[in-house]
Amino acid sequence: MASTSESISSARPAGTLRGLLSSQRNFKRLQQVIIFIIMAIGAIAMIAPFEWMLATSFSRSANVAMPRIPRFWPADPSTFNYKVAITNLPLVRYYLNSLIVTTASTLGYLFFSSLTGYAFAKGRFVGKSVLFIILLTTLMIPFEIRMIPMYLLMRQLHLNDTYAALILPFISGGFGTFLMRQYISAIPDELIDAARIDGASELTIYARIILPLCGPALAALTVLSALWRWNDVLWPLLVISDRSLYTITFGLAIAGRSQGIFTGVALATSAIAILPLMLLYLFLQRYIIKGIMLTGLKG
Amino acid sequence: MLKKLRKSLIWYVFIAPTFFLYALFVAYPTFETFRLSFFHEVATRQEFIGALHYVRLLSNQVFLAALLNTAFLGIIFLLIIIPLSLVMASLLNNLRVWPNLFKAIYFLPQITSTVAVALVFSFVFQPNWGLVNGLLRQLGVTPLPLWLAEPRYVLTGSRAAVTILAVWVALGYYMLIFQAGLQAVPAELYDAAVVDGAGPLQTWWLITIPSLRPTFIFLLITGTIDAMSRFSDLWTLGGPAGTPARSLQTIVLYMYQTAFESNDFNLASASAVILFVVVLILTMVNFRSFLGREFSSQSGA
Repeated sequence: MASTSESISSARPAGTLRGLLSSQRNFKRLQQVIIFIIMAIGAIAMIAPFEWMLATSFSRSANVAMPRIPRFWPADPSTFNYKVAITNLPLVRYYLNSLIVTTASTLGYLFFSSLTGYAFAKGRFVGKSVLFIILLTTLMIPFEIRMIPMYLLMRQLHLNDTYAALILPFISGGFGTFLMRQYISAIPDELIDAARIDGASELTIYARIILPLCGPALAALTVLSALWRWNDVLWPLLVISDRSLYTITFGLAIAGRSQGIFTGVALATSAIAILPLMLLYLFLQRYIIKGIMLTGLKG
Repeated sequence: MLKKLRKSLIWYVFIAPTFFLYALFVAYPTFETFRLSFFHEVATRQEFIGALHYVRLLSNQVFLAALLNTAFLGIIFLLIIIPLSLVMASLLNNLRVWPNLFKAIYFLPQITSTVAVALVFSFVFQPNWGLVNGLLRQLGVTPLPLWLAEPRYVLTGSRAAVTILAVWVALGYYMLIFQAGLQAVPAELYDAAVVDGAGPLQTWWLITIPSLRPTFIFLLITGTIDAMSRFSDLWTLGGPAGTPARSLQTIVLYMYQTAFESNDFNLASASAVILFVVVLILTMVNFRSFLGREFSSQSGA
């Protein structure tokens, strides 16, 4: 930024706007400054709600009266709201539940997607293409359309209010299988044939040769599955009523819909749900963005 | 022959768990949704009633309003997000200072759960002291808009508020997909345009935008499906009824309310089938009207 503003002041002696724009270099610099300003305004709009949330969450008086002029720094910095939020709700428990559910379903999703993807990419068996097309229909049937019978099924199996209800339906899927099949198809057959000649079983080939070569695809699926499971609220809403099984996202939603009167506390609760993910994002940002770009899907 | 069968047996073992789960959580529920929609419950017994639920739904004001509302919110959202994210992505593509920092910042709302973001926005749009109206007051705007408390079709009502929210959340994702598309435009095309003496805006309009066709189709199809099944943010802000005055009720919210508050799983299933048909038709329309050989090369975007 320093160099660009300098370029404008050094170009000023040229006088008129036309003079300023006359040289191609100055035009390019001005263009960069304008684009930078537009992007910066957008970035401020992206960050401002989060910053305002933080500022308000650290203000004890926010529960009683909010300032009429928005403050981006609390007038009375205090951790009071956070203490109340943590005593009001078993947030640690919610986090633990989210971790359990997200980890288990993501590990399952990676395992079954890659195993099935390997079979469809490199296996030879009767009905392969038909079975693959059947699996792909999953992509055409949104979850919302199946959710009522899924709920009734869970109720029949007495799985409501268990971790299994939150994990089982999501440990395999058409999209993951499709992505893994595409990725594994590109692995040369020679590698696999060589291993077969050495007497390796298909399971060994899968574990020793295929999986280690699937890093980027597995990373992308991890990102997607983790975002889906961590942020889901519709399915927990159907199958979970036991508070000790709430995930952090679901717990936040329920709390937010019932205790919205105490602005400071409500925003502190939101901050507790949001901030750890943002920190994680800071470190994993490159992989997350790469994963989304590879698959074209979002969380 | 037996040896061959034994050799292929292992592949069936590999795909078996996935197909078991597919049968349980995809195939069975889908058929069951259709079946349920033709029955109704009489003293815990299911009784066949044909298409009666569909007749009821298509003359039900609440359902039709939810259907229209879903379409309205979806169309407005797509009309704003696609041009906006295209322009922003094109600008960002030309920025040499900190492009990755901006990309990361714009993507920030995507990793935050919809629920958390919606909750924060219920305060951001608070009419008396919320962030938006606080800033508008500083700018001297009177009277201050009611946002989430205004159910009518106005530019500063509840529908506008949730559209701003949705655009704010999705912008980074749409920009990312457009950037992937922009990087796939062959450099020769730009070179040719420069040789022909085209200016930057002309190049953008005549070369870049037509080359992005596959990206447009991809975003239009996925965007339509997402918009038609919109639920979490509106449920957080307005509950199952889409308060205020059902201005935020979508089909999935209606479905949820019918199934889990009115306990009518059959009627809810019929509305799920209608949602399915609508999504299918819209996907096919998007597909048909834009279908070209590009689509097959799009899967990697």
